[in-house]
Amino acid sequence: MEFLKTTRVSPLFLILNMVLSVTYFIFIALFFKVGNPFLFALLIIGEVFHLWQVFGYIHSVWPRKRQKDFDPSFKPNVAVYITVCGEPTDIVEETVKAVLKMDYPTYSVYILNDGFVANRDNWKEAEVLADKYGIKCLTRKKPGGAKAGNINHALSKTKEPFVVIFDADHVPKHSFLAKMMGYFTDEKVAFVQSPQYYKNHNENMVTGGAWDQQALFFGAILQGKDSSNTAFMCGTNMILRRKTLLEAGGMSETSIAEDFLTSLLIHEKGGKSIYVGEVLAEGLAPEDFLSYYKQQFRWARGSLEVVFRFNPFFRKSLTLSQRIQYLSSASFYLSGLIVFLNAVMPLIYFYSGLEPLSISTMTLALIFLPYIFIVLYTIQLTSNFSYTFRALSFSLSSFPIHIKAVWQILTGKKSGFVVTSKKKVSGNHGYLVTPHLVYIALAVFGVLVGFLREGFSPSIITNATWVIIYIAIFVPFISAAFEKDKPDKTEEIALAVEGETV
Amino acid sequence: MKFLTSFVANKKFLIYLSLFCMMLFAIYFSVTVFAHTSLRLDEAQSLFQTNRDVPGLLNLVAQDVHVPLYHILLHYWQVLFGNDIFTARMMSLVFFVATIPAVYFLATYIFNRRVGLFAALLITISPFMDWYGSEARMYSMLAFFTVVHQLAFMKLFREGKPVHWVWFTVTAILGIYSHYFFAFVLLAEIVFFILARKEFAVKKAFRKFTISGILVAASIAPWLYYVYKLGTASNTQPSLMEPTSVDLFNTYAQFIFGFQVDSLNTVIVSLWPIVVLLAFFGLQKSRKTTKEALFLVAASVVPVLGAFFISVTLRPFYQSRYLIVALPALVIFIAWIISTYPKKLALALRAILVAGILGLFVVQTLNPATPVKEDYSQAVGYLNNKATSKDVIVLSAPFTIYPTEYYYTGPAKVTTQPIWNRFEQGSVPAFDPAKLDAEVKSNTDSYQTAWLMLSYDQGYNEKIKNYYDNHFERMSQKEFSKNLWVYSYKVRYDPPIAITN
Repeated sequence: MEFLKTTRVSPLFLILNMVLSVTYFIFIALFFKVGNPFLFALLIIGEVFHLWQVFGYIHSVWPRKRQKDFDPSFKPNVAVYITVCGEPTDIVEETVKAVLKMDYPTYSVYILNDGFVANRDNWKEAEVLADKYGIKCLTRKKPGGAKAGNINHALSKTKEPFVVIFDADHVPKHSFLAKMMGYFTDEKVAFVQSPQYYKNHNENMVTGGAWDQQALFFGAILQGKDSSNTAFMCGTNMILRRKTLLEAGGMSETSIAEDFLTSLLIHEKGGKSIYVGEVLAEGLAPEDFLSYYKQQFRWARGSLEVVFRFNPFFRKSLTLSQRIQYLSSASFYLSGLIVFLNAVMPLIYFYSGLEPLSISTMTLALIFLPYIFIVLYTIQLTSNFSYTFRALSFSLSSFPIHIKAVWQILTGKKSGFVVTSKKKVSGNHGYLVTPHLVYIALAVFGVLVGFLREGFSPSIITNATWVIIYIAIFVPFISAAFEKDKPDKTEEIALAVEGETV
Repeated sequence: MKFLTSFVANKKFLIYLSLFCMMLFAIYFSVTVFAHTSLRLDEAQSLFQTNRDVPGLLNLVAQDVHVPLYHILLHYWQVLFGNDIFTARMMSLVFFVATIPAVYFLATYIFNRRVGLFAALLITISPFMDWYGSEARMYSMLAFFTVVHQLAFMKLFREGKPVHWVWFTVTAILGIYSHYFFAFVLLAEIVFFILARKEFAVKKAFRKFTISGILVAASIAPWLYYVYKLGTASNTQPSLMEPTSVDLFNTYAQFIFGFQVDSLNTVIVSLWPIVVLLAFFGLQKSRKTTKEALFLVAASVVPVLGAFFISVTLRPFYQSRYLIVALPALVIFIAWIISTYPKKLALALRAILVAGILGLFVVQTLNPATPVKEDYSQAVGYLNNKATSKDVIVLSAPFTIYPTEYYYTGPAKVTTQPIWNRFEQGSVPAFDPAKLDAEVKSNTDSYQTAWLMLSYDQGYNEKIKNYYDNHFERMSQKEFSKNLWVYSYKVRYDPPIAITN
């Protein structure tokens, strides 16, 4: 797996990256004539955020050596939880079969069935499946706490000192336990996480985009976090030490990003985390745009809740690295606001002539280009060239999702845990990219307005070019929203047979 | 026959045929268009310096800001083929045409044939290269030696055979004797060596590079000593403005899209954010940026930034033509980065780029206001028709006497302001406002009309013009190319003396 290959980047190079970023910021903040003060303030807020992101990333991938104990003979009893909430039985069955084939002496398998409390029609199928394979099914009857509540319920019904958690669609490899359990020989290790790999990433544009984004996170970022004992749980493909988990209050039910918040609470208690940079289970990416949208929203909402309600930076029991890393990860979802601001600046100029700074466009280029190039190159280098334009497109184009999450948190609107659909939700999801289409329309008209006001001035041309860049970034995202369903093979066969009959 | 058929069917044949067509394109445009443009100031200097024996030539070049290889070659070229400007320009064309396959081989060696061919195409249609490929100056030769030298450097990086060291050192010596700015090529290599020293194929590379560097330094040392001994460098050195960030981006815009009038150039450089988008497109899975690609970045950025930095901090000597050393690496890098994009996008970008360059190539060629055009031919032709034996022609800056005398066939006296005798050793005299009155009087005394030709402003043309405007009656004015003006002034009102018996 290319995305998991680490490239050791020279600290000097990373320092140069930071120096160029800071230089750019200082020039923008101090050395040019301020245009409209309000726009300038927004610009500076955006640039501070960018600087923070660059710093967070460099801090993640900073080359460090971490001593990790691993004892392959450490094989205590383990409970394997497969969390199910109405997923299609064939998908769950595939996971169950793989779990039963894991190469490990003593473990028990439990289906954690939340279908009943979630009012799923097929909730009984999980119990039938458990019977079929001779495993236990723990069906919750009392709702609450969503997935975290489901796991906590199972914790109360089981005794094993270690707990493995798989989402219904995540199929482990034989060696999953053998390659993960040995880390628990260190008694401080509270959880061990392995990557979430989407085996369907070539299915369509949505799965591809979703995976491209994940690759950076599960490659360079989590491996970097691991080196500073700041890796956090990602909901599936992970093993937890029961004792530490219970000491932290079990899986946190106060956030829809229960894995993220629980990790923070465990780290706060002095627990250690390990990230294993090897694909040991394969899962499914959301196959349709609506499911992707909902998944991203849940992650954004959950992570931002941590920023606003449990701000890691002020939690004194965490190490400085942990504070930086948790805040960096959680605040990523604020980027939607910044993307929106940056994308809208050229439009403001077209329609009003207002600009945040009076600056020669060439001077701006001189300080901006080295900064952006080195940032992009650093990402490519550290991610072993697994980051793609599509990943960038999906990340930046998700700004309406992120803004919606911020808005809901600020207005105190409640949001439930929605399980990502494991089957494609068919239909036209184009309405989800309405903000992007409106942007394009406003941009085209804005260029005309600007041109009529001042002709082909350098400012109009440069701003028009920025608009083109944003549109180019939005295009893959918009295309994914409008992507037509591919007929699956059974449909194709049916059509063929029908054709023959006719 | 069978051999011929299989040869034609061979992929290599098609590639060589493509290269041949590119070279023909370059020759065609040079011979039919560029080679017939007016002699320019720098070219006039080349002719002036090379139309004498080698010691005399060396003496003149040493007083100039250049190194002598080009001048020596041009001297013998003229001995063989004639000493008119068209013939002189043909020598530059030879180097330009040779640069096309050289770029192909370098890009193919680093990447692949597809990149090589596209890079060669970009070099062929580059309005910048075409311009200097037909100018009687050393720039196309400098570009050629740069590419050949960089190929040796890349071979050292990957293979490191003894023959590559010889090749590397010899081409470095040829390069540094072509232009002082070749030092920036070596600087880019040093930067790359620092970044990738562990990945050089050859062992003890540092020691070997040091030896090579010593040889290059030793080879240029006698020339530098000679220049130092003469103590009159900068005889004809133009005074240059300190560059700004605009100049920096203009340089790259000129490299790709040629010389354009200010309004069009503003549009081109204002499109700079497009390079950010191109960088975004470059984010492709498993498309690793090889170390060789980093070398190309260094080779296309270090010379430009280096010259910019020194010009800003020490002394202005920033000229985009001196930086032609960065152009081949830049086009190869562009050809490579586009090749990493998805196929359809790459195809579209190649088509847009080629169409854009060709369009601007045509504009550069046809537009009389193109900034680098110096129409001394028309201006002096005008003086040939107008100036009589009772008139004086005054030139500023003084060194514009070179192109003027190439075309001037009339009877009027030709002089300069400030007054300069270029056959005496020493620098061009500095402009001294206190001497202006006396010098103008000296120049115009006893003549009826003064024809003031102003071009290549060294910071005092406006003062001279104002003096003439304030003291004499201006009778005409005409601009022949950008900033090349001819004014006529009535300097004497005495009636002609009638001599009768």
